[in-house]
Amino acid sequence: MTSTTRSNAKMTATPATRVLGVLAIAATALMAVLGLFISPADVIQGEAVRMLYLHVPSIWIAYGAFVLTSVSSILFLRARKRREDQGRHYDRLAGSAAEVGVVFTGITLITGMLWGKVTWGTYWQWDARLTTTILLFVTYLGYLALRRLPADPMVRSQRAAVMALISFINVPIVHYSVDWWRTLHQKASLSVGRRPEITGEMYWTLLYSTLAVTIVATWLMIHRYRVIRLEELRDEEALAALISSRLKNDDGSN
Amino acid sequence: MEAAYWRTPVLAETLLVARKDLRVEWRAKVALGQVAPLALLILVVLAFALDANSSLLELGAGGLYWVAVLYGGTLLIQRSFDVETDDGNMDAFRMSAIGAPSLFLGKSLALFVQIGLLELVLGSGIALLYNVRVTDWVLLFVAAVAGTVAFSVCGVLWGVMSAGLRVRATLLPLLLVPVLAPILLAGSRAFETALGVRADAGWTWASLMFVIAAIHTAIGLGAFGFLLEEG
Amino acid sequence: MSEVTTVVTGWGITFIIVATYSMWVVSRGKIIGQELGIGEMEQADPGKDADATTDL
Repeated sequence: MTSTTRSNAKMTATPATRVLGVLAIAATALMAVLGLFISPADVIQGEAVRMLYLHVPSIWIAYGAFVLTSVSSILFLRARKRREDQGRHYDRLAGSAAEVGVVFTGITLITGMLWGKVTWGTYWQWDARLTTTILLFVTYLGYLALRRLPADPMVRSQRAAVMALISFINVPIVHYSVDWWRTLHQKASLSVGRRPEITGEMYWTLLYSTLAVTIVATWLMIHRYRVIRLEELRDEEALAALISSRLKNDDGSN
Repeated sequence: MEAAYWRTPVLAETLLVARKDLRVEWRAKVALGQVAPLALLILVVLAFALDANSSLLELGAGGLYWVAVLYGGTLLIQRSFDVETDDGNMDAFRMSAIGAPSLFLGKSLALFVQIGLLELVLGSGIALLYNVRVTDWVLLFVAAVAGTVAFSVCGVLWGVMSAGLRVRATLLPLLLVPVLAPILLAGSRAFETALGVRADAGWTWASLMFVIAAIHTAIGLGAFGFLLEEG
Repeated sequence: MSEVTTVVTGWGITFIIVATYSMWVVSRGKIIGQELGIGEMEQADPGKDADATTDL
């Protein structure tokens, strides 16, 4: 590759993201202190309420990340023919956001199941929110699998972008159908999901946790974005090397 | 581009593509010769899983039917695109004057016919093996049509997504099942009502499947072009 | 499981997931960066950058 491409590709750490990284670690440490020690136990849920400081911010981040994936996918489809970089910037953004989204959806499911075990007495309830979340998790795992396949990068990115859009449109369909399923046939036999009102210290802890998790997710996304760019650069160089070696061989044989 | 799209006879092109797919399928006889018997085997295996408990089978017949359709349908979808990519037909389509919307509709129509046939075989199998009684034939028929339309449309959309990729045999089900989940849910519930196992909401579920089919048709008409494009 | 054990398990698993994922991302970046010969700009002396890339 030319030297300009090289100088454009930074390592994954820059001074700015180093500051962000240190901030993320400090914010997480403070979040642990607040969530595990300083905030009080809940009157009804007891200590289990501390799980919500991870669970609730995680699903918010996950949803935010999937929204970002969809928006970037639209921008990619619009930019791919017009912009000089063929919209690769938006494609990388979509990919890194989806991956971070999947990580935090996984965390949501794990913390939710543990919370459910102590609060409801069971890891899993077939309610609308849980069922939608697990389908969401699998959907975006599929999206990441599609992105990882060996194929022409532009073809793969285009298909992934369309998939991201359809998947996003599908989220409310899945949610409402599962919601109907549980409300039409089960006459309020389970009153799951009725989370008690939270106020005071718990409220502030939850709000702060959301901020801390957002910082961590942002850091992760920026780094993942840069790694995707490095991966693309490596693939391009490998391709260029292959082509030049072929050309040399052809010259030799002729 | 826009104007040309409206001037071309979409219906004629759609039928042309569908006829081509069905003719290829008729010659190869994979759907009837391999997929339908396999789907029947699934019914037998599901009876093993439920210990051939006749009341359980009767209760679950609606859901088990759609699970078998999912399995057989996925194979048919896979095949519908393997036929194209193996011989480089996709390039031919891109070169031809046939528009992406017609191609999408044509392939959906062909898949609808094939999955419909598969369902006829499966339905007969379930009626005989699981000892079910139909209480509402109209609902059963409408729900089957709604589910099959939704299934075919989603199938074509996701089939082209994984077409030509190296690990598509495993990728397609992974991508497809989360999207088909609401259809399976709605189809199972509607069938349970039609089979007299549940007393409620069968028509609501049937109409939900039409809504899902309509949404995915709209997406397919808009997005199929993007999925066909090469770099 | 008691409430406290559950909370500790949940927070523990979460931290392990996030830490593992972060380390995976950073190390992947470093490995590919080395393959491409893009050294860490701050650590490597700019003048010696070309030499640093050879000891892969």
